[in-house]
Amino acid sequence: MKKIGILVKKEIMEILRDKKTLIIMVVVPVLLYPLIIIAMTVGMSMMMQAQEEKTYTIGYRSQDQEYVLPLEEIYGKNQEELECKLDFQGVPESDEETAREEADVWLSFSKESDGVHIKADYHSTNQDSSYAEGALNDIVDLYSEKLLAENLEAQGLSENFLHPVTYEASDSATMSETVGMSMGGAIGMLLITMILMGAFYPAVDITTGEKERGTLETLLTLPVTNFQMIMSKYIAVSLFACVTAVISLISLSGVVFFMMSGMMKELAGEMGQISVAGYLGCIPVLLAAMITTTMLITAICMCFCIFAKSTKEANNYITPVMLVVMFASMAGMIPTVELNYKLALVPLVNVSLLIKQVLSQQLDLALAGITIVVNMAYGVIVIWILAKMYDSEDILFSDGFRSFRIFQKRSDIKKGTVPATGDLLICMVVILLAMIYIGGMIGSYDVFAGTVFNQIFIFATPVLVTWYMKSDQPRLFSIHRPKFKAVAGSVIFYIGMFSFILIVSTILSQIFTESTQNVAATFEEIMKQPFALIILVVAVMPAIGEELLFRGLLLGSLRAKYRVGLSIVISSVVFGFFHMSLVKLIPTTLLGVCFAVVVTKGGSIFLSMLLHFTNNLISVLSMKYPEKTGELFPFMMKESFSEAEIVVLVVVAVVCTTVGYWILRGNGQTMTDNNEGTE
Amino acid sequence: MIEAVNLSKKFERSIKQGRKNIKEEFLAVDQVSLSAGEGEIVGILGPNGAGKTTLLRMLGMLMTPTVGEVKLTDASGRFIEEVTEKKRAIGYLSGNTRLYQRFSIREYLRFLGQLYDYSEQEIADRTEEIIKVLNMETFADNYIGKLSTGQTQRASIARCLMADPQLYILDEPTLGLDILSADAIISFMKEQKEKGKTVLYSTHYLEEAEVLCDRIYMICDGRIVAQGTPQQLKEQTGSMSLREAFHVIYNSEKK
Repeated sequence: MKKIGILVKKEIMEILRDKKTLIIMVVVPVLLYPLIIIAMTVGMSMMMQAQEEKTYTIGYRSQDQEYVLPLEEIYGKNQEELECKLDFQGVPESDEETAREEADVWLSFSKESDGVHIKADYHSTNQDSSYAEGALNDIVDLYSEKLLAENLEAQGLSENFLHPVTYEASDSATMSETVGMSMGGAIGMLLITMILMGAFYPAVDITTGEKERGTLETLLTLPVTNFQMIMSKYIAVSLFACVTAVISLISLSGVVFFMMSGMMKELAGEMGQISVAGYLGCIPVLLAAMITTTMLITAICMCFCIFAKSTKEANNYITPVMLVVMFASMAGMIPTVELNYKLALVPLVNVSLLIKQVLSQQLDLALAGITIVVNMAYGVIVIWILAKMYDSEDILFSDGFRSFRIFQKRSDIKKGTVPATGDLLICMVVILLAMIYIGGMIGSYDVFAGTVFNQIFIFATPVLVTWYMKSDQPRLFSIHRPKFKAVAGSVIFYIGMFSFILIVSTILSQIFTESTQNVAATFEEIMKQPFALIILVVAVMPAIGEELLFRGLLLGSLRAKYRVGLSIVISSVVFGFFHMSLVKLIPTTLLGVCFAVVVTKGGSIFLSMLLHFTNNLISVLSMKYPEKTGELFPFMMKESFSEAEIVVLVVVAVVCTTVGYWILRGNGQTMTDNNEGTE
Repeated sequence: MIEAVNLSKKFERSIKQGRKNIKEEFLAVDQVSLSAGEGEIVGILGPNGAGKTTLLRMLGMLMTPTVGEVKLTDASGRFIEEVTEKKRAIGYLSGNTRLYQRFSIREYLRFLGQLYDYSEQEIADRTEEIIKVLNMETFADNYIGKLSTGQTQRASIARCLMADPQLYILDEPTLGLDILSADAIISFMKEQKEKGKTVLYSTHYLEEAEVLCDRIYMICDGRIVAQGTPQQLKEQTGSMSLREAFHVIYNSEKK
């Protein structure tokens, strides 16, 4: 810890002594933002003033004078309010053509049976013309109101004759809420962008810059671990990003409030109604959101910078990252999008939405908590990746980067290549995006088709990737004929794990009260299909596709690099997250562990396919025929268990997992021996 | 003392063959065993690309060997286990170990002292002593980025001295220096030898190595092709000078 402290101090000193960083940190937020805003406002007000002072020509035929006179009269009376100088010019018919060109608006009149029809010719893209037209429109409105009032009086009717019903909307939203709603989205975006700006430069300077300046090797000779080095760099950049964001926010809000109080007294009065006290409680939430966001963004920036050999290259890498981050941060500006449990899992988008929520004073503490925890979790994962990357000599000494093999030409890839961690990451991201966007889009038309698409995509990806990388598919996917003993062992193991998962889910369903309605709705839609189709899409396809992806590609590739235990945990957690539900996260992860253990110990992916099929089949049956399932498996359909039942379940769980594991273990050993013998 | 047993380092390199890029693995360092004891200057000679830098990086704990290990003993003869402790006991200097441009020498030495767990008093004393020994009083407070090549090289030596290591690993320390600066480095190595420290260094200057080194390892394509005192090498090859011996050894190696 002490060493990290010393290193952080050194990194900060180094960042601060670089004059360019001061430009980013101080000059841009403190000088540039206010200058831009002031210049914009001054420019706007100057333009408005110019428009007010200018005299606009309204042309008409001289013979139409009788119609124009009353308008001129109205104009004369209301000149102050209209804020526009008009000059009415009657033109003889001979000069009409040139006058039409010169006038800002040309008026022509025609008398019809039910009144006078006025036609105003103007040009909407011409500033002067459209401004004068607006003023004329107001004048005509006033004139018609005046005529109306006179008519009513002549008939002896009151105003109520025109407005038999009156309508008034009363807004219960306080000023703070309205302002928060309209500004919240923009502030979230600004904050995230500023963190990005603050993190980007020092991240490049401290990682790529260090490599470029040749001080990295010196750093490596010091008695510190790589982890201490990267953490100190990380902390320094995060601090810097936070400070930049805070300075920018203070500067911006200062300018905004100054402008408002100075220029628009009316609005300033309303702004005064915003109770500052209402926001005080939100400050910890905002702060936590900001800090976790900074953690995440900094880690992402640094991950990309570490690859780069030169600062120029780093800039190239970081541009797409910047675009993605900025688009994600714009979520808060979409009026209809609100923070919910699903969006709370999407990094950056959730922060943007949370800030909007907080500023419009509709804070939901549970959602805020999830958002912050989720961001922190993502942050920790990315930091872990960062630390791993910094441990690699390939990256430190720039001897080429081999965590991504998929970008090579297929002819350059050696036979039997195992996908590297980077490849796996890309696969997962691609599948996730395809599921959310393409699958989601199809699903919005037809839920069933969307599900089918997702399953096909999940199946195709591991097959295509391993084909492209010329991997040894039977070995990677563990495609071997299972022995009978292994089948028996895995079924027993599954029964044990299933009981265990039942207990866990019951406990979880009491803690979490997230509605499962969404899931149920999707399911109902699918249940309408013929039974055979349901079985195909819900039980058969996931059993094959998901097993090939998670227990084949993911687990198989991870096992080539990491210890078995770690590989099982990683693949299962990813499996859990892929089901995109907080309540189901832990049960699905446990299920993933069950399948992964069965594959590694039993030596065949068919075992986990069988179990996955059975598992999904049971849930289909329980949905389709709740009563019958309840009779067959009374445990399945219960909402809660009595103490005695829990004891039975625990005993079943412990006995079955132990026995199943024991049978599998004895079996797995011989299986792998056989495999190695034949290969 | 330092002892390397059976060190190998595998790298991947891509070779262009027509339009294809073919990746192949190769050994930059191939089963090298060597040792250097107290009060000894050991030279490592070899042409460019022979694997000198990779070898020294592994000896200096910057790279992990693919195979083999590096054993290091402290002044009392005990083996050092921890990697960070090993790094502490080694002063590593190469063309790639540049210094932070935005620090002054004094600040830099202070930073090092803190990392080496010295007390504030020790840091102050050692810093002043090193600045005096290396004659850096006039520029010790300037940013390192503003110093001349010779001054920077002295600052680099100051960096190594701050840790007071048992072993110095110097990768081509005199490369590109003027005669004065190069002589300063050579006398620095001699001083360390007299103090009973171990010096391992690589160079291209054979005349310099001939007078300075107690023992020499010649490496080619990652392997040791000859070793011994300069005298022995000359006798083995029947040469008058080390330069001549070098040519004889490499010519026979190429056949």
